[in-house]
Amino acid sequence: MSAASPGDVRIFLTGFIQRRLAAQGQDPLNELSDDCDLLLSGVIDSLGLLELVTAVNEHYGREIDFEDLDPDQMTIVGPFCDFVADRMGRA
Amino acid sequence: MTNDRALWAGFMKSAEMFTGRPAVVAEGKTLTYEELRERACRIAATIQAYQDASATPLTAVFAYRSPTAFAGVLGSLLAGNGYVPLNRTFPVDRTQVMFARSECDAIVVDAGSLPQLDKLLEESQKSLRILLPDVQSVETLRKQWPRHTFAGSNDLAASSDWREPEARPNAIAYLLFTSGSTGIPKGVMVAQRNVTAFLDYMVERYGITEKDRLSQMFDMTFDLSVFDMFVAWERGACVCCPSQKALIKPGSFVQEMELTVWFSVPSTAIFMKQLGMLKPGRYPTLRFSLFCGEPLPVSSASAWLEAAPNSILENLYGPTELTIACTLYRWDPVTSPDESELGIVPIGYPYPGMGVLVADETLREVGRGEEGELLMNGPQMSLGYWKDSEKTAAAFVVPPSKKDVYYRTGDRVRRPLGNGPLTHLGRIDFQVKILGHRVELGEIEAAVRKACGSDGVLAIGWPATPSGYGGVEVFIEGESKDLDGLRSTVASGLPDYMVPRRFHFMGKLPRNVNNKFDRKAVIHLLEEGL
Repeated sequence: MSAASPGDVRIFLTGFIQRRLAAQGQDPLNELSDDCDLLLSGVIDSLGLLELVTAVNEHYGREIDFEDLDPDQMTIVGPFCDFVADRMGRA
Repeated sequence: MTNDRALWAGFMKSAEMFTGRPAVVAEGKTLTYEELRERACRIAATIQAYQDASATPLTAVFAYRSPTAFAGVLGSLLAGNGYVPLNRTFPVDRTQVMFARSECDAIVVDAGSLPQLDKLLEESQKSLRILLPDVQSVETLRKQWPRHTFAGSNDLAASSDWREPEARPNAIAYLLFTSGSTGIPKGVMVAQRNVTAFLDYMVERYGITEKDRLSQMFDMTFDLSVFDMFVAWERGACVCCPSQKALIKPGSFVQEMELTVWFSVPSTAIFMKQLGMLKPGRYPTLRFSLFCGEPLPVSSASAWLEAAPNSILENLYGPTELTIACTLYRWDPVTSPDESELGIVPIGYPYPGMGVLVADETLREVGRGEEGELLMNGPQMSLGYWKDSEKTAAAFVVPPSKKDVYYRTGDRVRRPLGNGPLTHLGRIDFQVKILGHRVELGEIEAAVRKACGSDGVLAIGWPATPSGYGGVEVFIEGESKDLDGLRSTVASGLPDYMVPRRFHFMGKLPRNVNNKFDRKAVIHLLEEGL
């Protein structure tokens, strides 16, 4: 098990998003602000969200349960990173 | 009830009996039957006030998951018209093509779709009637578009002006566009009697009452949404429509809304399983769990039933041309695993009155236990394709040795031995399911050919998922071109799920012995990790 800060998760998330955009031939994002909603801004769709969750689980080597995360917060960068970091800190 | 009634009759009866009960939840607002009837009748009366016999008997509904979307659907029907759903999450160019092909004279638009309206008005050759129930002042629009007529919320006719239209069972209930291999979407004309035949069976089978609460996971441009709305309204139940945002947490929505009937594509169940939303016993309120639109993996059915232990799970099957669903299979934890082939739940048995023919290439019936194309007919067989007699004649055929017309589904099934269920084995052509959407790879190929000028284009469903494909990749014969330009041109005419995820340029595409492009060879390249 590895611990992670919200900043670490953010670096991983940024990398994931940029790789995905590049694979789809889209321009990279200049900046990923904390209040950016990945879904409503069209950066990812529900399939992308699934890929993201799978990638997070693989990267950190554990199954994170996203059920407790408020749906309104789930696709917003800041709350998503805080949530993953919080779960990584638990036994 | 008989199939001679209009599709709206069930709703109006429920509105009498269950006046104050909830009819729909959308955008977080609950509308009672009385409130929804009021809104729908005002829209209907406004359409009736201008419509003459020469008008197209269709009204477009350009609205997304809003109260106006539901009122617009009912209002079109109450005016005696069929509805043509348009979707603002589609590229506006595609919406414009659908709207133009439908030849609608009137369009109901909700607040969220208003920003895309200009495009439809610009391109229209007609003088249109635009109903804007969410907008008070339409003065600016009137000045900007003098050749069109606008009705804002204050201009709509009174609901008391609504006049019951003559019931015409053969009239179109809705016109839905599906992917067409030539690059132009085909409009399927579904008659009111097709839908009422379907509804009669469904409300009885599931014992729907005014206490039921049904999910609306489907956009209105997907015909499975018709089940959610009209099965609920036939019996005074409530249809619960999540926002675009709430769609990604379906589990929370089931719990908050206390849903009793669930209906979605299997992809949603797969998605929920992977996100940890299918914990045992989590959804005790569900009485029925229904899936349709793509193959249902046995593993998803089992996981779902653990999470919704009080529900009966059924797998439905049906193309738009046969009205929503026309075969079904009830899952039995004891016997069903043995009846499933290749880990996929059978599609089961035909609806009442629906005839089945499993045929070879000459459209003659195959032997029991053999594979063939599924053809069906009966009360749910639709009227064919809007203004396209050629495509209608190709798909709705009289097989040799038969007297009646059958619809060719293009689906490969096994003819059962004895009384067993039908089993879906795939497609006979190049149509694929992407996240539950029916996609003709030929349509994507046509769009790419047009955009890049090369005739050598192959579209491949990739990667394979348990229920179809996650997306599409395209192979192009020729020199590498401006990729960004190519992508944006292609994307401007196709919905997201059809836009190729990657473009691969090759000096020469692989060909098979018949000198046709070799799909298997390029799939092999993808499998090798291209």
